[in-house]
This record gives sequence, C-alpha cells and structure tokens, in this order.
Amino acid sequence: MNPHIYRVVVRSQISPGRLLAWAGLSGVAILLGFVARAADDSVSFATQSMGTFGTNIFAPFIALTLGSAALGDLVEDRTLVYIWLRPVPRYSMATAAFAAVISVVGPIVVVVMTAAAAVTGVDDLLMATAAATALAVFAYSGLFLALGLRFKRSLLVGLGYIAIWELLMSRLGDWFARLSVRSYPMSILSDATGVEMRLADRSTLASYIVPVAVGLAGLAYTSWRLTRTEID
Amino acid sequence: MSPAQAEHGPPPMVQATGVSKWFGDLVAVSDVSFSIGAGVTALLGPNGAGKSTLLRMMCGLARPSNGSLTVLGKDPRSDVAVLGRIGMAPQQEPLLDYLSGRDFVELAAKLHQIDHPVEAARRAIQAVELDPDDTRRLSTYSKGMRQRIKLAQAVVHDPVVIALDEPLTGLDPRQRREMIALFHRLGAEGKCVIVSSHVLDEVERFGSRVLVIAQGRLAAEGDFREIRNLMDDRPLRISIRTDQPRALAITLLDRGVISGCRLESEDALVVDTSDPTAFRRAVAPAARERDASLLEMRPLDDDLESVFRYLVGQ
Repeated sequence: MNPHIYRVVVRSQISPGRLLAWAGLSGVAILLGFVARAADDSVSFATQSMGTFGTNIFAPFIALTLGSAALGDLVEDRTLVYIWLRPVPRYSMATAAFAAVISVVGPIVVVVMTAAAAVTGVDDLLMATAAATALAVFAYSGLFLALGLRFKRSLLVGLGYIAIWELLMSRLGDWFARLSVRSYPMSILSDATGVEMRLADRSTLASYIVPVAVGLAGLAYTSWRLTRTEID
Repeated sequence: MSPAQAEHGPPPMVQATGVSKWFGDLVAVSDVSFSIGAGVTALLGPNGAGKSTLLRMMCGLARPSNGSLTVLGKDPRSDVAVLGRIGMAPQQEPLLDYLSGRDFVELAAKLHQIDHPVEAARRAIQAVELDPDDTRRLSTYSKGMRQRIKLAQAVVHDPVVIALDEPLTGLDPRQRREMIALFHRLGAEGKCVIVSSHVLDEVERFGSRVLVIAQGRLAAEGDFREIRNLMDDRPLRISIRTDQPRALAITLLDRGVISGCRLESEDALVVDTSDPTAFRRAVAPAARERDASLLEMRPLDDDLESVFRYLVGQ
C-alpha cells in the first residue's frame, strides 16, 4: 500500500457537506438506539433497527459516497493522471485507495452503530453490531471502489444497485438473497440475539467469509482495472 | 556503447513504429513512425490533430491500437518502472486542488521515491519561478501558475524523457521566454524534451526539431527551418485589391507565376499560385509594368489548418 496515495485519497474524501451528512446519519442512529431502549420488545426492535438502519442503509450509503468517489472523482475530474504517471504498482494504488475508504467509512459506521447498540442496552448486540457493520463496510467499500472506477456516474449506479438489488431483488427468493451483501451481516445480528429477520438466514461461517470475499474481489477488480484503463 | 551504437549514434529515447490509435470509429493517430533523441522536439499540429494522444501513449496513459511505442527501450504501458524516468505535464487544467502547490509537487517527488523529496520539490518549484514557501491551495492559483506547477511536478524527479502538452498556454510573454529557456536547458542536459503546440510562432521559438502532426498523421518532420520553408512554398490562393485587376491578372499569367485567377469585382482579384516565392517576387514589377496600384494583398488560406492540410497532402 502506498502511504502517499492513501493520504491524498483520505484528504479528498473529507468535505464540509459530507461531514454534515455523516453527522445527520449518526444522529439518526443514536436516536434509534434510544427508541429501541424504550420499546416494549427492546431486543427485537434493537436487532431490527441495527440491521435495517446499520447494515442496510448507513453502511452502504456511506461506503457508496466515499468508495465511489475515492478513485472515481479522480477519473471524473481527470486528475488520476498525477497519480497514475508514477512508478507505483497498480495494486498498491488500489490498496491505498481501499484502505483510505475503509479508514474513513469504518470509524463513522462501526463506531456510531456500536455506540447506538450500546444505547439500546441489549448486551448481546454490542459485539455483533461491531462485527456486522465492520464486515458490511469492508464489502461495500471494495464493491463501490471498483464501481467508481468502472462507471462514469458511479453514485447513481451505486444508488440503483442498493435500491434495486440490495433492497428489492434480494426479497425475491433465497438465491437472490444469497447474492445480496446485506443478508450476511444481518445474519450475524440475528445469530447474536436470536431475533429472526427476513434474509438473515445465512450460516455463521458464510456471514463472515462472504463480505470479506466481496471486499477483496472489489479490490482485485480495482487493481486489474487500473492496469487496463486508459487515463484521460 | 556497443559497436553498432557507436556507428549509428545513440539509440532513440522515444521510438514509434507504425503507431495507430482509434476510439471506436474515430482514428486519432494513423500509422505514425518516428524516433526522438535528446534535445527539444516540438510536436506541432492543430487542435485535434492527435498530439495529445501521441504524448499520452508515450507516457503509458493510453495503449496504441496498433504498432509499438517504446520509451528508453521499454513499453511505458506495461513497464511501470520506466515511468520513473518520464515526466509529463498534461494539457488538462484540473489539479489536485485541495493540495497546496508545494504539497502537489512533493507528492510527485515522494511517489517517485526520490531522495530528499522536500528539497527536490523546492528546486522544481523555483525552476518554474514560483514561490516554494507558498502554502496556498492550488484552487487559488491563476492559470499561469497552474501551468507552471504542472511543469514543476513533471521535472521534480529529474526525468530523462519529458512530455509537455501545450505547456505555454496561459503564460505571459516573459514567462514563456523563461519556460522556453528552461526547455532548452533541459535539452542541453541530454534530456529528451517533447513539447506539443498548435502555435507556429511558438514552435519557431523552440528552434528545434519538429514533428508536424495533422489529422492523426505525421505530415512532416525535420529541422524547423525546413518545415518553415515547406510551409512557405505551398500553393496559395491570394486576394489582390488593385485598380487594374484585369491587366494585372494578364501580366501575372504571362509571367507564369499564377495558375489561375478569378475577377471578384472591379477592384478585386483572386489568384492561385503554386510558387508563392516567385509570385511574391513578380507581383510588384507586374503592377509597375501595368501602372497599377496594389491596394491590398491577402492570402485566403494562410491559417494553420490549411498549412497542415497541405502538408498532409504532400
């Protein structure tokens, strides 16, 4: 991983608008924690909330905005040339960008959602939420990093993917659900509290392995794409 | 140096052999071959001629659709290591605007893993006449400053081959002089400096070897003076305003310096000449002979595009 590229990508990701959006979403997450704590069936409500909001909305949307922009913005504004022209192995560039996305998205999503889980007062949910959101962040970051390099309007493509594939198509049957990233971290939450959730019926092993594999596949594609793509 | 090299001179630093590049149906570069050695070489051609595409291929940013292009004997597209010996200032304006100029050049130095990147960045920034202590973001830079910081990042790692795409755009005359002097210094140090431009006079000031690119093809190459002569000697269509257009046309036809003419109005004539030099010598004596007043002479196809079209036809 190239530390200089890592720093440039991290720096390019932080903007006042994004900070404001992250703060807003974080506020919603913590609020949900308090609502769950006050609910009659707080375990069920908390598990559903952490799953629905944390792994279905918070993690993918934050990963999308930053992952797709990490290299995608450099392609779009034609500044990737200033990184690409250097004698740096392409996998090292991809790894640096991936690490930059993870290191920004990770703390936002994992820390905020784990804090929200702590607020619910459901002890079993604490570590499960940390693990589930961390895995979701890893998978979505790799996926959207690759998406940013592959598509011109990657933010729109990513939104379409989340809305159509992750939120709609995954409900059509077990095979569709298996191809949906969110079903794996949700299964971790379901396993931890015993609360049944739709789509959350993946095996424990798969719940951990598949998100990691998705993230690494996205990273591998990004590396390959960097060697193949023509830089404008 | 091998005996073969001693006999034929040093190997070229950039070698293109039958290089073509197309984007779908659009042919950007067509079957171009050349070799470039140390010194300043100008890549001259109108906008859209394929200069930038050639430079991009030289720097490995794009792959030739056909043919081969090597830099220092390596394929810059597949050999990442050779990029360490290439510097490029691309044509596009956007920079990493959230960085300061110093950070931008330092980043280039660090990515090239050179020793003492901070000092190298200072030297490069000073070489392009910017302030190395300026901590302002690039987003605040003027167009001329942006051009110069692009040059600084291109030379910070002391590359052997330097590709500069329209580097003088946005610079004032004094800055242009300084930059051209810098190109010459780099060329004199044995570096291969390739500078693209669509401005004929600018290239003339490089006083260098020229590759003329037009419509994706190599239209001409050689010393600038040869190219200039070739351009000056091309057929021309000239509009002449005179009080005696008919008489002047007859005399010029009799002298064989024009190949055709057309009377435009009672005081205007358009002539075609395939020998502009002979025409220029003959027109004033012809007017004197007919006691005609020459009110105005104006070439109708003297724009750069027509010059390049002619060279392509040759």
